[in-house]
Formats: sequence, C-alpha cells, structure tokens
Amino acid sequence: MMNFKNILKEIEQTDAGVYEQIKGRRQVLKSFGARAVAAALPFATGSLFTEAYGKTTGVDAHVQALNFILALEYFAYNYYHTANNTGGLIPANDQPGFLTIENEKKAHITYLNAQIANTFLGSPYTPKNYNPSASNPYFVVSGAYDFTAGGKYLVFSDYPTFVMMAETFEDTFVHGYLGQTTVALDSNTLLALLMQMQCSVARHASFARFVRRNLGYAQAPEHPAPWITNNIPPIPDLQLYYSGEENTSQLGIDISLLPGISGTTPQISATAAFDDNLKDRLAVLSLLSYFML
Amino acid sequence: MEIKNAPVNKQAEETDKGYDVSRRRFFQLAGGLAGAGLLLSSCNNHTKPTATYLGSGDVALLNYLYIMEQMEASYYTQAFATPYYGMTKDELLLMQDLRDQEIAHREFLKQVLGTNAIAAISLNFSMVTFADRNSVLSYAALFEDLVISAINGSAHLFSNTDYVVTLNKMVTVEARHSAYVRDALYANTFSKNVIDVNGLDRSVSPAAGLATAASYIHTNFDSSKLPN
Repeated sequence: MMNFKNILKEIEQTDAGVYEQIKGRRQVLKSFGARAVAAALPFATGSLFTEAYGKTTGVDAHVQALNFILALEYFAYNYYHTANNTGGLIPANDQPGFLTIENEKKAHITYLNAQIANTFLGSPYTPKNYNPSASNPYFVVSGAYDFTAGGKYLVFSDYPTFVMMAETFEDTFVHGYLGQTTVALDSNTLLALLMQMQCSVARHASFARFVRRNLGYAQAPEHPAPWITNNIPPIPDLQLYYSGEENTSQLGIDISLLPGISGTTPQISATAAFDDNLKDRLAVLSLLSYFML
Repeated sequence: MEIKNAPVNKQAEETDKGYDVSRRRFFQLAGGLAGAGLLLSSCNNHTKPTATYLGSGDVALLNYLYIMEQMEASYYTQAFATPYYGMTKDELLLMQDLRDQEIAHREFLKQVLGTNAIAAISLNFSMVTFADRNSVLSYAALFEDLVISAINGSAHLFSNTDYVVTLNKMVTVEARHSAYVRDALYANTFSKNVIDVNGLDRSVSPAAGLATAASYIHTNFDSSKLPN
C-alpha cells in the first residue's frame, strides 16, 4: 500500500499528475494483482481524496473535472475509431450505431477543448504520445492505449468482446461523469455541460448493452438490459466495474421498500432506476488503466 | 357494436387512423383493452375546478419533476397492461422494467416531497394507440426525452444540492430508457435528432417543460412560484 500512498500524495500536489501516474499505477496494479486493486478502490474513494480535491475550488477544480471528462472522451473516441476502421469487426446492422457513438465522442472532445480553453481558461488535456494529424487530430496512432489489456480482451478481432468492453467502458464513463457532479455544483455552466453530455454517454451505454442483449444468451448469458441491473457484470472478471451498483438507497430512502405495481419495488428495478457508484477520478482512471499505456 | 360504449375504444377509434395497424386486428385487441378503461378512467374527468399549486422553491421543482415521473409511470403501466400488437416476450420484460423503474422514480419523489407532494394527476393519453407498437414507442421516446430535458434544465435552480446529485443519477437512467425505446423503434437511432452538434442532450426550462407536458395532462397547475 505504500506505493499507493505515494501516488496519492503526488495527486494532492497536482491533479495533472494523475494522468502521468497512470503508467506507474498500472505497474503497481500489475505487481500487486487483482487483490490489490480491490483493496485500493475503497481507499481511492476515501476521505483522503475528498480532502485532496476538496481543497481545490473554483476554476481550477472545474478545469480538473473537465480535463478528466476529456480524458474519458479521448479514450472512448480512440476505441470506437479503431473498431469502426477494423474491417469485418462490426456487422452492418450495428455499424451505424457505433459510427454515431464515434461522432458524438468526437463532438464531445471538440466542445470540451473549446470550453476548457475559452470559458474556463485552462489547458486542455491531451493523451500520452499525442501527435495530432491534421486529418484526424483526436486519434492517437500508437503509444496511448491498449484496448486488449495486453491481449486479454480481443476487442478488435472478436465482435462480442468488442461489445462487452464497449458496455463496460460506457457504464464506467457514466459513473465517472456522475462522480464529478459535486465539483459542478457551484457552476451552472459546468453543471449543464456535464449533465447534457453524460446523457449522451448514457445513451451510448444503453445502445451497447442492447446490442449485447441481442447477441443472445450464448454470447451474453447475463442478458443485459439497457440499464444496469443490480451489480451484474458481463463476466466475473469485470465485477469491479459494477461494484456499488447494487445500492438501493437514495437520499436515505430505500427504493426497494417503496410501493411498486404490487407490493414493493422489485430489487432489480430499485437498483436499475438510478445509476450509481459515483466514482472519483482516480477510481475511474484506475479501472481504465489496464487499457492505457 | 358494444365496444363503442367503452370510452377507451371511442378514444381509440378517433386516434387509430394514420397508424399502421389493421383496424380489424385493433378491435380484436380492443377486447383486451377493457382494463384500460380502469387505468385511464381519470382521463374522462375533464372538469378543472381549481389549479393544483406546486409550491415554491425546491418543493415546486420537485413537484414539477414529480409530474413528469407520474406521467411516465402511468404511461408504462398502461403500455404493460395492454401490450401492443406483436410485443415479443423480451420486449414485455423490458416494458416491465421501464414501468417499475418509473414507478420507483415517482414514489421516490413523492417520499422526498412528503406532505408537500401534489395529489395524483389526471393524465390524457388519448393521442396514443396502445395497441400499436409504433405509437407506444414513439410516445415513450417523446416522454423520456421530455423528462431528460426537464431534469437537465432544472438542476441548477435547486437550493439543496443533494437533490441535484441524486437527480443526476436518475437522468442518466432516463437517457438509457430513451435510447432503448428509440433503438427498439428504429435500430441505431438512440440519439437521433436529440444530441446536438456539440454532443449535448437537451435541456428545457421548467416553464417550457411544463407547457409541453400539459398536452398530456388534464390537471391544471398553479406554477406561479416555480423557479425558472
């Protein structure tokens, strides 16, 4: 755990460092294994982080939130752009949907860049090894992402795997956006941006989950609905991405005890009715770090 | 025909034109709609003696969203009770989910409002042909998109920011709902004509949102203290 504490200290000093730490953190995660990740996540969402980020207020905090969102959008754009340009991966029936997602991620990056620079007067985040080409400035040809996580997930050669990770990434993005709500409470501009953008992301999550549902029980035994039911992951390996989604308490009210169509609200709907597990920036980036170089 | 005596079928007769559903098949289904008269019985009460006061400040905003969630919950309750022609087993499962989640939203807001909650509203779904898939899913998308824009356009007006954090967790689920009903209607249209050039979903002011919702509600509201 000492390594994590060192990372935390550096993040307290500079939020920009969080992105630089991903590589180091990834090595740490690799060396400690899955148990370390499980141990680190609650820690990462604990009070130390709240305090660290709580000290930053106003414009700086807003820029940090926006840059974090921008990092998610770059990640997503590169994922879909690669997939959409991999011949034979995506069936024709689903291609329009994934192209729409790619285009909306692109629109998010463009808008975030402009908002950060012009409205919030900050410096927009760029991915590792960012070397923009004129024709496609948001695509990082190499050195930023490994969406196979070292060959574990064959996302660009196996369509069900691509869809499964699209689902997992999108749900994680939603959690990431929701985790920034508290940062935006003192800025109507930022709040509106986050809310309207996160709804677009939630639509992407819904689409990916619906596509996976339609792959059938053989490819998707958990038969996902477009919304997250309990904390059920596509596969057990991805459980951490959904931990916390089983929550049924909102503002101190247990949703599962509220009146339903008959009796009380079914457990699956009590959990699905709210997206949950609002994750802070490090928690989300930790989950995505397996796919970042 | 005896079914003409049933208000719900009169309603359907007026509105099934223009929808791609066989009239004969519709009336075969109409027998199954008997229960719909009960569910929608409040629609026949067109008298509006007094306006329902929404309150002021956060209470008014919560009541505004409570109106929206009542609308959605009642809509899916009806859609599930009288499945459209050709509804698959899988679609029925998802319709049940939609119903139960919107009921959860409605009951949650009611609980948060406590004694400040307005009474159950009287809805007007006369323009919907519940036997017709296209009609049901189209209006579902319309309602979902309206609620999304209503939450997005009212969040900044709340004094108690705890509400904002929780409403945020609701609005992303509404976006999931909207995407689904849109995709079910026409594949790959989860964001068509909703997401703008900046990749942003919609937002509407409470006054404008309430005005749009009024087309589907008989109840009159006094929104004089609704923040906007």
